Amino acid sequence: MTSVKQSSHFPIKWRLLDAAERVAALVWPRQLHSYTGYLLLVPALLLVFVLVIGLIYIGGYSLHELDLANYRLKESFSLTNYYTAVTSTTYRTVVLRSLYGSFLVTVITIFLAFPYAYLMVRAREAMTRKFLLISLFLPFFIGQIVRAYGWLIILGKEGLLNNIVTFFGFSPLELIYNYPAVILGLIQYMLPFAVLLLAPAITAINRDMELASESLGAHWIQTFIHIVLPMAKPGLIGSSVVVFTLTLTDFAMPEILGGGTTDFIANSIYDGFFQLSNSGLGAALSMILVTLGTAFVVVIFSIAGTGTLGFSRRSK
Amino acid sequence: MENKHPNNPSLNRRDFLTTSAMLAGGIMLGPGLAWADQKKPKEIIVRAWGGSWGDALKAGVADGFTKATGIKVRLDFTEDNEIKPKIWAAIDQGRVPPIHVNWDTTTNATISALRGVTVDLSDLSNLKGLLPLAKPVGLKGYPLVNTYAYVYVCAYRPEAFPDGPPQSWNVMLDPKFKRRVALYDDGIGFNPISVIAGGGTFKDIPDNMEPGYEFYRKLKANKPLLGEDADFTTWFQKGEIDLACTISVNARAAKQSGIDVAWTVPKEGCKVDTDGLWIPRGLPANEEYWAKEFINFALTKEAQQKWCSMLGLPPVFPGIDPPADLVGDVSYPTKPEDFEKLIRVPSKVLVENQPKWFAKFNEIFQG
Repeated sequence: MTSVKQSSHFPIKWRLLDAAERVAALVWPRQLHSYTGYLLLVPALLLVFVLVIGLIYIGGYSLHELDLANYRLKESFSLTNYYTAVTSTTYRTVVLRSLYGSFLVTVITIFLAFPYAYLMVRAREAMTRKFLLISLFLPFFIGQIVRAYGWLIILGKEGLLNNIVTFFGFSPLELIYNYPAVILGLIQYMLPFAVLLLAPAITAINRDMELASESLGAHWIQTFIHIVLPMAKPGLIGSSVVVFTLTLTDFAMPEILGGGTTDFIANSIYDGFFQLSNSGLGAALSMILVTLGTAFVVVIFSIAGTGTLGFSRRSK
Repeated sequence: MENKHPNNPSLNRRDFLTTSAMLAGGIMLGPGLAWADQKKPKEIIVRAWGGSWGDALKAGVADGFTKATGIKVRLDFTEDNEIKPKIWAAIDQGRVPPIHVNWDTTTNATISALRGVTVDLSDLSNLKGLLPLAKPVGLKGYPLVNTYAYVYVCAYRPEAFPDGPPQSWNVMLDPKFKRRVALYDDGIGFNPISVIAGGGTFKDIPDNMEPGYEFYRKLKANKPLLGEDADFTTWFQKGEIDLACTISVNARAAKQSGIDVAWTVPKEGCKVDTDGLWIPRGLPANEEYWAKEFINFALTKEAQQKWCSMLGLPPVFPGIDPPADLVGDVSYPTKPEDFEKLIRVPSKVLVENQPKWFAKFNEIFQG
C-alpha cells in the first residue's frame, strides 16, 4: 500500500511510462530481450512470406489447363502448360532471347558502371563527385517508360540521330524496334543500379593499398587487375546479380523499344495472363522465369560464395 | 421556403425546371427510369479506350447520361485485356467488381459471358428495334449488347502510294515496305484476311489457317511492326510506317489530327467486327440498375448518333445517317453490298480459335 501511495505522488508522465513498461513486459518478456534484434526481421520475413504464398498460388494455377468452353482452369491437374511452354518454339526463343539479353546487358553495364563508380568514389574534386552523383540520380527521377519514350524521340525515323544522318545526305537508319534498341534501353536503365551497388565496394578499398601497389612498381593496370578488381568482388557480384535478374524480368523496354517482335519472358507472361486469358499458361511461364532467375543466383553464389557479399562469419 | 400548399396547382420556376428535366430524362432513358426508386450512386465507372474513343463515349453517351440522371460517369482507361482478369478475380472472390460497365470487343465480352460473369441485359427497353447486329450470336439472351460495327481497314500514307490506294493486302510483302508495315500485336483484325491474302478462301477459316500462316511467314521477312491502337497513330505521325491494318477509327482520328493517312478495302476484303457493352455480376443492386440504365441510354437514337458519328462507325440503331466525311466510305458499311466486301467471323469461332491463332502468330513473329 505504501508503494502505491508513493507512486501516486509521481508525475503522470512517469506513471504512464511505468504502465507502458508493464504492457511491454507482458508482450515481450525480459527473458526474450536477447532476441530483440531478430524482432526487426519480422517485417522482412512477413514480406517474403506473402511473396511465397503468392508463388504457391501461381504454382498451383500452372498445373491446371484452360478450358476454352468456359475460360476457367480445369479442376484436374496436368503438366500441359509446362509442356506447351517447353515444346513451343516461340517460348524457347523468347527464353533464350531473354537470357542472352540479360547476359549482354549485365556484361556491358558492369563494364560501363565500374569506371563511373571508381571515378565517383576516388575523384578529388568535390564538384566532380557531385556532378557524377547528380548525373547518376537524375534518371531515377524519370521513370522507365518515359526513358523508353525518350529513346524513341532520339532514335526514331524522324528522331534526333536520323535528322543528323539525313542532314548529311545519308539514308535514315533503323535504330528502333529491334533487339539492339532493347539492349541499349536496358543498359541505360540498369547503369545507375550497377554504379550504386559498386560504389560502396570501391569505397571499402583502402586507397593506401593502391598506393602501396604503385609504390612497389606496379603499373596502374596491374594495380587495377590485382588489387582493385579482386577487392571490389562483392560489389561486382552484387551488381551482376541485380542487373541480370532485373533485366531478365523486364517488361517495358522490350514492349516499347522492341516493336512487338522482340518479347522477353515477362511480355509472354503478360500475353498469357491478359491477351490469352490463360492464367495457367501465364503462371507456368512465371514459374519458369522464377526458376531461371533463382538458378542464376544460386550458380553465381556457389561459384563466388555468399562471402563475397559479406555474409560469411568473420573470424576474430 | 417550404410549399405549405401542396395542392396549389401553380408551379414555381424551380419546380417547373425539375419536372421538365425529369420528364426529359424519362423520355431519353425509356419507361421506368424516371420514377425509379433505386438509390443513385455517386458515379458510374465505365471502362473505355482512350484518345478519340474515350472522347466519343464521353461526348456521345456519358455527358448525356449525367445530364439526364445527375450521375457522374468516370471513364476508366485500363486496357481491355487487363480489366478482364481483374473483374473475373473480383467476382470469383466475392468482391465488388472495379467497374460498372465494360466497353469491350465482342470477342472479349463473349469470353466473359462464357465464364458466366456478365449480367443479362434482356430487359433493357431500348433493345427493341435495334439492328440484328446488336444481338450477340451463339449466346443465350443478352449477356452483352453490341453497339456498332467497325472495320479493320488497310490504312496507308498516300505519299507512299502515288499510283493510288493499295489494291491487295499482298502489297505488305513488297520489299519496298520493309519495316514500314504494321499489324496488331496479336494478329487481331488480320488473321482471317491473311488466309485469303495467302491464297485460301473464307471456307478455310478456322480449320485450315495454313495459307494465312504462310502469308505471315513471308511477311516476317519484311519485319513488320506490331502494336496497339495508340501505336498506329504515333507511327503514322512519326513517319515510321506506310501501311497498317487498323480499325478505321484510328485512321480517321489520325487524319482529323492532320496526319496524311487514307484507307481502303483491298480486293481480299477487310474484317468487320463489333464492340459491345456489358455489366459484371456482383455489383450492389442499385448500382447494377443504373449501370443497366447507362447501357440503355447508350442505345437511344441520340446517343448512338452522337457517339458513333464521332467514332465514324455504323451504329446498331437503324436509320442513322453516316457522318458527312464517311458517306459512301468503304469503312462505313450500311447496305448489304457493302458487307459483301467484308469478312465477319462469328464470335464463337473467334473465341474458340483466337488463342490458337495467337500462338501461331507469336511463333512466326517472335520465333
